[in-house]
Amino acid sequence: MRAAKLLLTIACFSALLFSCNRSGSSTNKLLIYTPHGQDMLRDFVAQYKTQHPQVTVEFLDMGSREILERVRAERNRPQADLWWGAAHTTFQTAAEENLLAPYRPTWNANVPESSRDANDNWYGTYQTPEVIVYNSDAVKAEEAPKDWDDVLDPKWRDKVLIRNPNPSDSMRAIFGAMIWRFYKDAGTPDKGYEWLRRLDANVHEYTADGTLLMQKLVRREGLITLWNLPDVWIYKEQKGFPIAYNFPASGTPVITDGIAIVRGAQHEAEAKRFYEFVTTSEALVLAAKKYYRVPVRTDIDRSQLPAWMNEKVNAMPLDWNVLRKQSGEWLRYWDTEIRDHNKQ
Amino acid sequence: MPLLSLKNISKRFDSTPAVADISLDVERGEFFGLLGPSGCGKTTTLRMIAGLEKPDAGTIEFDGRDITDLPAERRGFGMVFQNYALFPHLNVSENVAFGLRARHRPAAEIKERVKGALELVQLPGYEKRRVDELSGGQQQRVAIARAIAIEPALLLFDEPLSNLDVTLREETRGELRELVGRLGLTAVYVTHDQEEAFALCDRISVMVGGGLLQTGAPRELYEHPAKLAVARFLGRNNLIQVMRLSSSNEGTGEFKTLQGGHTLRVLIQKGELAPLNKPCTLAIRPEHVVLRHAADSLENTIPAEVREINFAGATSTVKLDAGGLLLEALVLQPNAFAVGTRCAAVLPAERISLLKE
Amino acid sequence: MCGTSLTFHHDLRMFWGYAPLVGVAQMSKHPATVGQSRHRTSDGKAAPVSQRRPPVALSPRLILLLIVGVVLLYGVIYPNLHVVLQSLQRDGNWSLQNYREILAQRIVLKAIISSVAISVLTVMFCAGIGIPLAFLFERFTFPARRLFATLAALPLVLPPLVGTVAFIFLCGESGILARVAQSIFHLERAPWSLRGWPALLLFHAYTMYPFFYVLTGAGLSRIDAALAEAGRSLGARRARVLTRIVLPQLTPSLVAAALLTFMTSMASFSAPLLFGGGVRMLTLEIYTARQRGDLTLALTETVILAVISLSALVFFQRYEGTRRFAAAAMKGAAKTRRTIATGSARVVAMAFGVLFSLLLVLPVLTLVVVSFAREGSWTTQTLPPSYTLANYARIFSDSAAREVFLNSLSMSALAAVAALLWSFCVAALIVRKRRRTWHRLLSWLILVPWALPGTVVAVSLAEAYGKPSSLAGSFILVGTFWILPVVYFLRFMPLVVRSVQASMEQVDEALDQAGRSLGARWWQRFFRITLPLVWPGAVAGTLLAFVIALGEYVASVLVFVPSNRPISIAIASELRDFNLGAAAAYGVVLMAIIAVSMMVAGRLERLRS
Repeated sequence: MRAAKLLLTIACFSALLFSCNRSGSSTNKLLIYTPHGQDMLRDFVAQYKTQHPQVTVEFLDMGSREILERVRAERNRPQADLWWGAAHTTFQTAAEENLLAPYRPTWNANVPESSRDANDNWYGTYQTPEVIVYNSDAVKAEEAPKDWDDVLDPKWRDKVLIRNPNPSDSMRAIFGAMIWRFYKDAGTPDKGYEWLRRLDANVHEYTADGTLLMQKLVRREGLITLWNLPDVWIYKEQKGFPIAYNFPASGTPVITDGIAIVRGAQHEAEAKRFYEFVTTSEALVLAAKKYYRVPVRTDIDRSQLPAWMNEKVNAMPLDWNVLRKQSGEWLRYWDTEIRDHNKQ
Repeated sequence: MPLLSLKNISKRFDSTPAVADISLDVERGEFFGLLGPSGCGKTTTLRMIAGLEKPDAGTIEFDGRDITDLPAERRGFGMVFQNYALFPHLNVSENVAFGLRARHRPAAEIKERVKGALELVQLPGYEKRRVDELSGGQQQRVAIARAIAIEPALLLFDEPLSNLDVTLREETRGELRELVGRLGLTAVYVTHDQEEAFALCDRISVMVGGGLLQTGAPRELYEHPAKLAVARFLGRNNLIQVMRLSSSNEGTGEFKTLQGGHTLRVLIQKGELAPLNKPCTLAIRPEHVVLRHAADSLENTIPAEVREINFAGATSTVKLDAGGLLLEALVLQPNAFAVGTRCAAVLPAERISLLKE
Repeated sequence: MCGTSLTFHHDLRMFWGYAPLVGVAQMSKHPATVGQSRHRTSDGKAAPVSQRRPPVALSPRLILLLIVGVVLLYGVIYPNLHVVLQSLQRDGNWSLQNYREILAQRIVLKAIISSVAISVLTVMFCAGIGIPLAFLFERFTFPARRLFATLAALPLVLPPLVGTVAFIFLCGESGILARVAQSIFHLERAPWSLRGWPALLLFHAYTMYPFFYVLTGAGLSRIDAALAEAGRSLGARRARVLTRIVLPQLTPSLVAAALLTFMTSMASFSAPLLFGGGVRMLTLEIYTARQRGDLTLALTETVILAVISLSALVFFQRYEGTRRFAAAAMKGAAKTRRTIATGSARVVAMAFGVLFSLLLVLPVLTLVVVSFAREGSWTTQTLPPSYTLANYARIFSDSAAREVFLNSLSMSALAAVAALLWSFCVAALIVRKRRRTWHRLLSWLILVPWALPGTVVAVSLAEAYGKPSSLAGSFILVGTFWILPVVYFLRFMPLVVRSVQASMEQVDEALDQAGRSLGARWWQRFFRITLPLVWPGAVAGTLLAFVIALGEYVASVLVFVPSNRPISIAIASELRDFNLGAAAAYGVVLMAIIAVSMMVAGRLERLRS
């Protein structure tokens, strides 16, 4: 019995020590949920700390969908203060579920109407246009598809790689846009489905994530894919992957990446300060140069940006709200009726 | 006052009674046997004494105190299990020292007593051996050493020799008796082997079907079984169906066998008078049946014919037919008789037991 | 003889099963009785029969029951109940509508069927690989046996997230093996694609056979080889000895392994996601539904998944029950491990073992290769054309990376040790008492967290302990360091419980009784008899839980906080930032750490036995 008691005491004591050790709380704390990656976050946090050394800034890096799940699960006792990074569709969903707190940044006038929430629940920070990507070692530039419908050409049969659209904002936007092209006139998605069916006929594989997509593209499991421009530039420039891209001639969906304050944040004032800090024109230029993020703000000196960011983007006009509401059903249809039907 | 005393102990498993209302006393320094066929409840009784089982009813007293609810680990009884239950992860000396360590004895004393115990079971120098390297007999000795090392107030044996071969069993039997006697221990020994029980025990209780039939010294049980079941269980017996004829003489009774119609005179204790004209059973050991060539006019002499002679070394069994009554006799010199010849079988009155059903 | 052992066994059941229950009832009903007998303690005196005490070891059993009950209530029942309740609600009303709708969908039915089919096949494949391998390494001796035996457990250390990537780079259609085949046979295209059923089964078999390998090995080490020899001497042929003598004794271990494999396969997520192709599995459907925002559907599908997994448990338990062997059958204390091999069989076995072990190393080697490859250079070549240390430089120059490793190690160790301690509590309560319904319920509840997808465990915990409530009081777990160790504990304790339970079932009860008769109290018997004997199995199970917890991702990502950021999050983060090499490097370091801890554990195991 003595031995058991001793063990129990030791266990309790060490538990106590451990928890004391871990809960060094301070009032000037800020917790950010972000998918932007460690490198970028650390860079900005370090700069922020030089201006506000009394603040402890912490961040959790996760995918934007996981952030949504988490914010949902924590709605009764929000942990995060700031949510930096997710497609505006995701933010819109969160806003509708009452997970975000409205905040109007100082630069609110310099954001296009389409890149902000009417109720200030979120504001756009970066833009993500979608493009047609190809393996530049295996496909000549003049042969590469120039528009969406070119991808359906039988010569690309079994050569197209597509990222599984369910968890991907980019792919959901592309699939949504493809259906929208027909839906806006016909009012039904049937012709859009037909387009996806023809795409499916050319698809070699639906890959599970973007990293694998790019790996398989350069390893020539497929030669063509649809993906977003900033990522393509990261691979092209930072990693030296042999890839190139074309803007679809008929226009392309442009996703807005946003920032928002979490409803019920414990350190809301600090969150607002950081919100402003990462959306100054200097910060946006830095993000553009170093991290390939295309700024949303219209008042930026565009000459400071990398040349490719100033290429003319032919944005496809889309009703994002319809897309967001419908895409669940559309994707479900695609998932059950279209996907992999060419394999059978 | 008896050292150990079981009073009206009962035990059921699910709905099957295992032990039914048994009472027995074990005297200090006694080697006490529980003998019975498989499934008779003797092991259950032993386990209740050990504290590994709790009786449903009745009390167990040790040294005058009620220990019915005392957990096994507080009784201080040593137990030797049928499969020895040696700890496979401990070596010989650690096995023997286990009980002493549990009592937090000083290391020097433990060492001393382990050495002593191993010497007692004639395994000196085996301290560091792994138990699975030992032979069955050696394992058995370790199990005994482990049980006696704690200087038990009572030593319990659960068929400890049943896993050994015949010669080893007889050898170990002798040593065991000698060892327990030398240490002045009280022992309760469970076995289904009558010979083993007779060789070892001062007193024996015969158990059949969860009940205690008869308790007594081996010789008493053997020669005068009180009940049919005991007579049946304890070795070979001529069981003779008879009918009481008279009770003319004080202390004797006359019976007529149902087969063959022979008249037998039997010594009868007071209070054992069998009712007249009712069938009952007499028992006589084959070795007590005396064979003669000619029919004398001696008491209880029955003419018979030799049917079969089975040679079995020192003795032989002669099977007889006495006008329908089948008898067996043990003789030293079978040559004197031949199959088919006639002879006379004498059944000495003092050797015949009158059995209760 | 037979009768004796029958009563003997009977007695044991009596002792283990009935006495404590009766005792508990008495205790709660008649506290006065206990007090009285305590009172008598003081005047009990000396002699060998020392003192008078309340009936047989009641209080420890009651404490165990309390501990187990509280953990289950707070860790399993309370958080998971609302999952079930929510799936039974539609627009605030109680209804079965969700289930009706789902089960009417052809696609969901298809997913259920293929999930079950794949899991059954996975169990068969894993058993086919794991059991012979365990026999090989447990029963045969040959040079470097220990090394190869360790290698055979290697898939366990393959970290999640990057493990699958390694598999793709090795076996995928542009992987090393495919490229080698292409260059040998001069093929235009890859000879195969890593998709669909074969790919899934290959990956499942590779990653899950260690359940069989490890648990069978632990079971075998406790079985007396002499028993098999006895069978042989009685004229039974090899196959007969195996099926009639060895396997029945192994049943607890095999059932535990089959159950774990089945449930892991049912909950398998990354494999169908990465190489499922058109194969639909329930986990994938749940994920897709969540991604689409259809939370009710996801929840309902989750409940269906859990129900299937738990019915597997019932099935296996029934089977386990019919094949249980009486402890009395295991006479004799000698349980030696002997080598039983001669001649050509031994050579073949050796060659098979060595070859197979090497095959198992390949994915790990691939991961190492990826971690050293220069990013972007490895396109159409069989092996990377240029190498770099940059990925490792990135990790080792980063103080956050060090913290990540420390976090994961300390949290997994905490969870594993807690699971070990708790397993003994559970095992003491339920071992050898299968016939009682509440024991069955207990082992059921314990396996619930394992049967549920990690996401659900995390979400339900987060919701249950994210706000003050009537049951939890003001106790809030979410947002603290402790949430992750708790999640790891809940998710992986079934592993430890099963292996401890299996080990305990194989220990001869007479040993414990011998301990009692020698005067050892329950804790002395536990620490000096039971613990050393179940130690190998317990260590194996704990290690398994530790290693898997080290790489846990799906639940971690929903509840981690800055102070407990685990390795898997760092790996996922690198993957999201397209640093495949750095992610692989993390994976390699993680494997190295696991290898070291396994060696330490091996030492630990040998120390005790």
